[in-house]
Amino acid sequence: MAKGKLSFEEALARLEKIVAELEKGDFTLEESLKKFEEGLVLGKECREFLDKAEGRIRELVEEKEGQITEKDVTDEF
Amino acid sequence: MPFVEKDFLTVSDLNAQVRLLLEESFPEVAVLGEISNFKKHTSGHLYFTLKDAASQLRAVCFRGDAETLDTTPEDGIKVIATGRLTVYEPYGQYQLVAHSIRKVGVGELEIAFRALCEKLEKEGLFAPEHKQSLPAFPFRIAVITSRTGAAIRDIVSTLKRRWPCVDIFVFPVHVQGVQAAPEIIRALELVQQVEDLDLVVLGRGGGSLEDLWAFNEEAVARAVYACSVRVISAVGHETDFTITDFVADVRAATPTMAGEIAVPLITEVGAKLDAMTEQLVQSMQNRIELRSGRLRELLRSYALGRVRGRIEGAMQALDFSMEKLQRGAREAVEKRSTALARELTRLEALDPRAILARGFAVCSDMVSDAIVRSAAAGAQLKDMRVTFHDGALRTEVKERIDGKG
Repeated sequence: MAKGKLSFEEALARLEKIVAELEKGDFTLEESLKKFEEGLVLGKECREFLDKAEGRIRELVEEKEGQITEKDVTDEF
Repeated sequence: MPFVEKDFLTVSDLNAQVRLLLEESFPEVAVLGEISNFKKHTSGHLYFTLKDAASQLRAVCFRGDAETLDTTPEDGIKVIATGRLTVYEPYGQYQLVAHSIRKVGVGELEIAFRALCEKLEKEGLFAPEHKQSLPAFPFRIAVITSRTGAAIRDIVSTLKRRWPCVDIFVFPVHVQGVQAAPEIIRALELVQQVEDLDLVVLGRGGGSLEDLWAFNEEAVARAVYACSVRVISAVGHETDFTITDFVADVRAATPTMAGEIAVPLITEVGAKLDAMTEQLVQSMQNRIELRSGRLRELLRSYALGRVRGRIEGAMQALDFSMEKLQRGAREAVEKRSTALARELTRLEALDPRAILARGFAVCSDMVSDAIVRSAAAGAQLKDMRVTFHDGALRTEVKERIDGKG
């Protein structure tokens, strides 16, 4: 999830809260709909986040003091 | 000498005095350490450095003693060297003059292990209050271990299999031998520079107590303690315990276990997400059904023939939207929910109660339920039903009063 937006964990927690609130159903129809839509968007974003391109594996070696070289070694695993 | 007393010492004087002090204080001392920079001089004397992860000491063993040693000293072996301390005055360097050098046995390592355990425990390095719980969904994980060997493969493959979206940062280090402890300590410093890192897995495969020794070094334990990122320690097999295990936030029995502890299963998280989305749709649907049930009732009781067609049309659109929602291919769900919202807004506008609540009433034939649309039609009737937003009245028609028609 992009920076500044909700983290995956926060988005999931928010979704859980919305689901519980809608179950209880103490909102007006408009409020419920708003929550419902927000919940669907959150669920979709979380899903997309999980399905995003695979994570990378990088190897970090300090060549000289404080000078770190980074190498992508994803294909080696 | 023209100078009088004690304004200063010469370098030689000072070194001589320090030497005396040292020799008197440490006439016989046994030191545990690892041999490095080992050199056998042509004279037969042995020169080397004794070190642990944090410190080092110059040492020499003269030929006479060197010839009687049981252990052949070499770089990288752990020894206990016994001898006296002195100062080599030409260099002002203090050193151990060892008369015996003995390879350390497992027994001694265990004693050192227990002593350090006790010391660090007293200091609070193992305290549960200091341990941080692991993040539920880590997306960036550092792995500090040997680049060769099974441990790295076990850790990385377990992480990727369970949680493919994770980014992994490998910090290769020696996990045994003289370089191990300083490299591990440096790596623990460097991981803290990785942005948004969620946790660190520090480990290696199984081995003897000696092989695992780097993970029992005090300086390594302190580096783990000081690391601001959460650390999972995965050293050796189930039965191997190291001090690093005690200091780390979580101990994993094996490198593979570390991968399992570190990340959730993507299929489980996905299933949970699906279940929540379904629940969301379900409760919204219940809500709407309740609502449309009420509308149907109104439709019956108010007999609002004129708007009936429009309401029924909207009802159908709603049913259609709900069906689509139920079929619920996830990719379009966002769009659908918006369409559904529009439908509902239209329905709300059609709600006859809303009109009646504004002060209007509807007249209908008591018998046929037909709406009375004109005074002329009303004048033909004996009585009429007048429906308000909160109920209806039966009224008698007396006379037509507007004079027209």
